[in-house]
Amino acid sequence: MGTAAIGLPFLDSMVPALAAPTKAPVRLAFLYVPNGIMMKDWNPAVDYEGKFAAELPRAMKPLDAFKDDMLQLGNLTHNSGRALLDGAGDHGRCSGSYLTGIQVKKTTIDIKASVSCDQLIANKIGGQTRFPSLELGMDDARQAGDCDSGYSCAYTNNLAWRSETQPLPPTLDPRVFFERLFGDGAILTPEERVRQAKDRQSILDFVTADTKKLETSLGPTDRRKLDEYLSSIREVERQLEKAEKDNSQINPGMDKPYGVPADFAEHFKLLTDMVTIAFQSDMTRVLTFMVTHEGTSRAYREIGIPDGHHPCTHHQGKPDLIEKVSQINEYHTKQLAGWLAKMKATKEGDGSLLDNSMIIYGAGLSDGNRHLHEDLPTLLIGKGGGYLKSGRRIVYRRETPMCNLHLTLMDRMGVPVENFGDASGQLDPASLT
Amino acid sequence: MQGRGTVKPPTGITFDSDFGNGIDSLLALALLRGMSGKLETRVLCLSITKANLKAAQAADALSSFFNGPPVAGGFGGGGVGVNPEMIGLATNGKMKEDTPVLDAVLAKKTADGKPAYPSKVGGVKDTAESSVTIRNILLAQNDLNAVMLVDGPATNAVQLLDLYGAKPQIVAKVKYLVIAAGAYPNGGVEAGIRNDIAAAKKLFAEWPTPIVAVGSEVGEALPYPGASIEKDFAWTPSHPIVDAYRAFKPMPYDAPSPGLAAALYSVHPDDGYFKLSEPGTITVLDDGRTKFTPGAGGKHRYLIADPAQKDKIIKLYTELVSAKPVARAAGFGRGGRGASGAPFGGRGASGGRGVLPPAAAAAAQ
Repeated sequence: MGTAAIGLPFLDSMVPALAAPTKAPVRLAFLYVPNGIMMKDWNPAVDYEGKFAAELPRAMKPLDAFKDDMLQLGNLTHNSGRALLDGAGDHGRCSGSYLTGIQVKKTTIDIKASVSCDQLIANKIGGQTRFPSLELGMDDARQAGDCDSGYSCAYTNNLAWRSETQPLPPTLDPRVFFERLFGDGAILTPEERVRQAKDRQSILDFVTADTKKLETSLGPTDRRKLDEYLSSIREVERQLEKAEKDNSQINPGMDKPYGVPADFAEHFKLLTDMVTIAFQSDMTRVLTFMVTHEGTSRAYREIGIPDGHHPCTHHQGKPDLIEKVSQINEYHTKQLAGWLAKMKATKEGDGSLLDNSMIIYGAGLSDGNRHLHEDLPTLLIGKGGGYLKSGRRIVYRRETPMCNLHLTLMDRMGVPVENFGDASGQLDPASLT
Repeated sequence: MQGRGTVKPPTGITFDSDFGNGIDSLLALALLRGMSGKLETRVLCLSITKANLKAAQAADALSSFFNGPPVAGGFGGGGVGVNPEMIGLATNGKMKEDTPVLDAVLAKKTADGKPAYPSKVGGVKDTAESSVTIRNILLAQNDLNAVMLVDGPATNAVQLLDLYGAKPQIVAKVKYLVIAAGAYPNGGVEAGIRNDIAAAKKLFAEWPTPIVAVGSEVGEALPYPGASIEKDFAWTPSHPIVDAYRAFKPMPYDAPSPGLAAALYSVHPDDGYFKLSEPGTITVLDDGRTKFTPGAGGKHRYLIADPAQKDKIIKLYTELVSAKPVARAAGFGRGGRGASGAPFGGRGASGGRGVLPPAAAAAAQ
């Protein structure tokens, strides 16, 4: 790199700006599934250390190959999703509060939530990537109307909130997502990109090396001026590096999708294939993915379930409806497993892209029949860059705020925040590592 | 932050105590449940400053006992908006020793060898952080419709005070705090203060609502009569209060109980059972003694036993503590959990408030 040509102590600070990162960044993704999960199919048997037993329960069974890559967290609670004094509308509240950590305003007009934790992260580190964050969904992006007992559809259909009144609607269409990520322009070969970067860098090396020659003959004031000059060059370098990322053409290695596939699995795969590329090429480090929106009544004819998801979850103990919910839950984790396989197969450094990720898969309700907001089903998948000791179920004390997890994740993403939502503190680090 | 419901339920009590350190806290819980059985109050949550899992197990066992036979969505220890069976437990190591009271409740077996008073608390993970539990349940209350009752050390109360964002909720929701600890107007060192002097100092210095303190002198003046244990619980072959009472000290004895007085005052502050001191400020000295300084602008008062009310109060104590558990219809006091199960968009209230039965509505303040 150009810094070798400068080789002076006071310019060592340039190294981070130019050098290739020695450690891969950590990516954070939230995948949200609606209407709770059949908890009888969720909590696995564990040994005395919390390690998963050989047999995973039904809803987690598709994730068997990733046992050693995930943590299952128990007893996390979103008090803000509860009725408190706002009456009906658990679906609207639970998704609205999921990443914002507050009780959203019950309204269909003047919506009010709070900046979500993913956006707090994106605001801080998003400048290092082409997209500060990406938002995806699969079945409803309405931003207005009443989606649950007086709660705006903005609450049930969005996870990410840029401000307390501005949600970030998810992209549903794989084609739109493709064009956003990869555009329509010509794609440079890797050799062409290297040559382009090298040409630009050599100019900067020349400038800095040339000015350095002057330094020995300068007094303190001029030296300070030179220092300021070199700092400005460094800033130019930063901007160029950023511009290079912004303009780089990534070969996605896939055809542009035609639109929204009718098939759920195909839709999910298309979106997550592109997420993998976006993560791999460091186009973003933050993703929210509302797999289907909270309260959805989507039917799953692909697996022989013509009934709506939400009505099935209010099964009232009827075995046939319970079975359908179980099948849907299992179908969801099966799709997740497909993505995890791709993330795990994508090598990065000494490990995989999955190793350098933290993927939260969960729901804003536990028991969808009773609308419970405690013991929310939560998986933390990936090693977080080597931080997480996976392969275990960790049961926290009851009522442990979900926001404690959010605080922990923000900290791990390099965005330490003292307070968030109703958090009482970070999760005990000793429990995770 | 006024509540948005249609019917205001009776004042809710968050009950925080050193459960099982003595007999006082068990009697106070029984009294509260007796009053909730008459729809005079709601016991919102239990939190415990005694850092011993058995305390949580015994509290859960008593709660289950007072719930009576299971009924769907029944009234009882319910909180509005959070799990009504939640128990907060301190884990700071204070007062961690086992006691005969706890052992008596937990060790008793039925004829077929099963626990006479079963508990669902298997480990610390079945309990919650007290401050979070109290904060969560307060958020579900109408403004100024909750009383915090602390029987013993103020450990959990000051943790709540320190919880981010909790102080405005305390101001909005808590009418006043009643603490059974100390001796007034000036007295010796009492266990409720001694067991966490720093917490007591902070509580009296920083708690944002009015405080009513119930000293050991009130407990001495209004003891729970041992004779009641011998006769008033005959309706059941086995009662945890009887077993705990007998285990606490050799019978017969009358149990001084500031916790009972504090519980009665918390629910019936205006019924003339007690007198109140003039306003002032309570300070906790370094050695644990409490000192009351009168002052018109003070937020503190202390309770004064009225000899003229003694017989009436003792009678009330015994009736309520020994009362049979009352099963209630669904919908009151246990809201916040269940959904009605109706299709999406067409449900009734999903909980949190429920629908008050007529008797409860009449009792609502």
